[in-house]
Amino acid sequence: MRIKVDSEKCSGCHLCEMACSLFHLGIINTEKSAIHIKKDDLDISLNTPILCRQCKEMKCLAGEEATKVLEKKQFIWNRRRAECCPFHALPLLGEKAYHCDLCGGNPQCIKVCTPKAISIAT
Amino acid sequence: MVLDRKIGFINLTKGSIDIQTISLELRRKFLGGRGINMYLLSQSYSPSLDPFSSENPLIFGAGLLTGAFGFGARMNISAKSPESGHLGDSNIGGDFGAELVKSGMSHLVITGKSEIPIYLFINNGKVEIRDAGKLSGLDTVETQKMIRQELRDEKVQVACIGLAGENLVHFAAIRTGLKNSAARTGLGAVMGSKNLKAVAVRGTLDVTVSDPKKYFKYYLQQTKNLLDTKWVQALGRFGTPLLFQYGNATGILSVRNNQRTTVGDQGYALEAEALEPYSTGMLSCFSCPAHCRHRFSIEDGKYQGTRGEGPEYASIGSLGTKLGNLDLQNIIYATELCNRYGLDTISIGSYLAWAIELYQRGIIDHELTGIPLNWGDGETIIELLHRIAQRKGFGDILAEGPLAEKAFGEVSKDYLLNIKNFPIEMTDERLPKSFALGMATSTRGACHMRSRPSLDILGLPVEALRKLYGGPVSNEFASYSGKGRMVWWHEIFNAVCDSLGFCRFLTVFSSPHAPQYKQFSRLIALSTGLLMTPKELRTIGERIYTLERMMLAKDGISRKDDTLPKRYFDEPIPEGPARGEVILREKFDQMLDEYYRLHRWDKNGIPRKETLKRLGLIG
Repeated sequence: MRIKVDSEKCSGCHLCEMACSLFHLGIINTEKSAIHIKKDDLDISLNTPILCRQCKEMKCLAGEEATKVLEKKQFIWNRRRAECCPFHALPLLGEKAYHCDLCGGNPQCIKVCTPKAISIAT
Repeated sequence: MVLDRKIGFINLTKGSIDIQTISLELRRKFLGGRGINMYLLSQSYSPSLDPFSSENPLIFGAGLLTGAFGFGARMNISAKSPESGHLGDSNIGGDFGAELVKSGMSHLVITGKSEIPIYLFINNGKVEIRDAGKLSGLDTVETQKMIRQELRDEKVQVACIGLAGENLVHFAAIRTGLKNSAARTGLGAVMGSKNLKAVAVRGTLDVTVSDPKKYFKYYLQQTKNLLDTKWVQALGRFGTPLLFQYGNATGILSVRNNQRTTVGDQGYALEAEALEPYSTGMLSCFSCPAHCRHRFSIEDGKYQGTRGEGPEYASIGSLGTKLGNLDLQNIIYATELCNRYGLDTISIGSYLAWAIELYQRGIIDHELTGIPLNWGDGETIIELLHRIAQRKGFGDILAEGPLAEKAFGEVSKDYLLNIKNFPIEMTDERLPKSFALGMATSTRGACHMRSRPSLDILGLPVEALRKLYGGPVSNEFASYSGKGRMVWWHEIFNAVCDSLGFCRFLTVFSSPHAPQYKQFSRLIALSTGLLMTPKELRTIGERIYTLERMMLAKDGISRKDDTLPKRYFDEPIPEGPARGEVILREKFDQMLDEYYRLHRWDKNGIPRKETLKRLGLIG
């Protein structure tokens, strides 16, 4: 299971980021979210939701003695892993990186995405 | 955190910065956003306060729930208006308000004047005054880009002025993003008078939540209800341009300075469907599920290469039919030009329409204008926008707004359709009587958004209206009956929405099923922990509106000023679906009587002492 993205539909509202931080941390902070809207509001280019693609080969864990199944369930990762991600998909704030754990199988971000720019792919 | 957000008092003459907490008592009395702005403005408001003086406070205020899950994330900017000379206040969307909140701030009160061009940078609660010499003369998009470049942070949100604000054009806007504007009442000129080119904000702080699980669940339920309404569904597809078709079909448009109120079949050229070929997608303001904004791109023709956001219905009407202009590409381009210069599309449309009618009637001539003024001449409109922003030639006269009357002569007054020295908009209110009254009583001068009483156009059962408004209201929008009640109700309700940061389009605007006080009360409790009953919220709305009225009363404004342009009373609409409609003075007076009685103001429109006491506005 992963979350797929359709940039053509993203309105750039940031509700997905808000929902992610609220579900995981009990606060609202768009900087502390595993999903991030890449947006240039001074241009008419598309907004693009970016988040972990749930790769089978987890290059983000390169050089680590980590158990993939367990790490996939973690929301807060570290900077090093984000820097190893070939897609630069993990938002960073300070030394913390935010990783999509799929909310344990019930992604909250999808619930607030009215234009349906993000959806579940199995 | 929501209740911990601060006010920054910034004096640009002294270079001083004083950050203070907001007391719980102030929150309970005024919530945030427009409510606290009005409290702060009332502290220094007086008839002698010169809008361009260093004492005039320019106030930025995010709503209490801006940045949280709610029904919008808006903010208000307020000051004494250089355009009207009275209360100045404008509401703005986009992402700026939410970023201000993330920086730990709720309100900014900017006084004084800098000797050199500067901008403010607010970063996680710290306020810095920075040199803006390099930004002078830049348009509003270039300014935002330059600041992001200088601060090396693409997430910085910037509210700024363009050349119009720098040149003190009396109807200059404050802008953020490609289109969002606090455009009404000339606050961009107040910003320019302070030598303040921009306010930049960046924040990474948490918004804490009282009961996260219940809050999210409740929000999702309410949003679902809202998204099920036809209004929000249509808005999400077409945006506000969908209102143009309605306005044209019912005869409530301003055409040629309200000499007509429809363009009939010619209106197809400006309808929402006509905009679709230019649209490259819909956008949202921060935290909005409705996405009512368009991106556009003009791919061919004279204006090829023009890209941006918009235009909204207000701009299509103001730069289109109001000026007899039916060239959609020209309207899109003119709107974008206004956005770049930082000009209010509504006011500029009104002043241009005024000038063209004066020219049409021979009251002003080529000697004064230096350019022929004809209805529907898109090229002249573009040329005048440049001249106004640059204050060149005839543009320098128009840049003064209503004060251009000095150059146009006494007789010109009858053709400037304004209320409380502030021009009417892209519409004509001789048919919908609730709108007519709302325009007349609005505390910022002619404005349909202060009340926006539109539920009587839906043909709802009378009982449904009685239940909502607490008394009889006719469901015929040409009727005067109960419309005083309707305007009173919406004015109070909207004051609450603006203080919470909520958007008109997501609350009771065109759907009685949209969120109201009860939902607001619950959301406030679950997010902030602050318990406020629906009744308490309504009292806050009354307090804000009456406080605004007190400021106007200081200026000598009373019943005599709660009126409409002469044309509305004296000239029946000559043709079209609203033909024959005119405002009857006696019936208008009856609406005013009902309206004052419900506000508990006296017959002259002055708040009664016992009302002020009840609302805690005097001791």
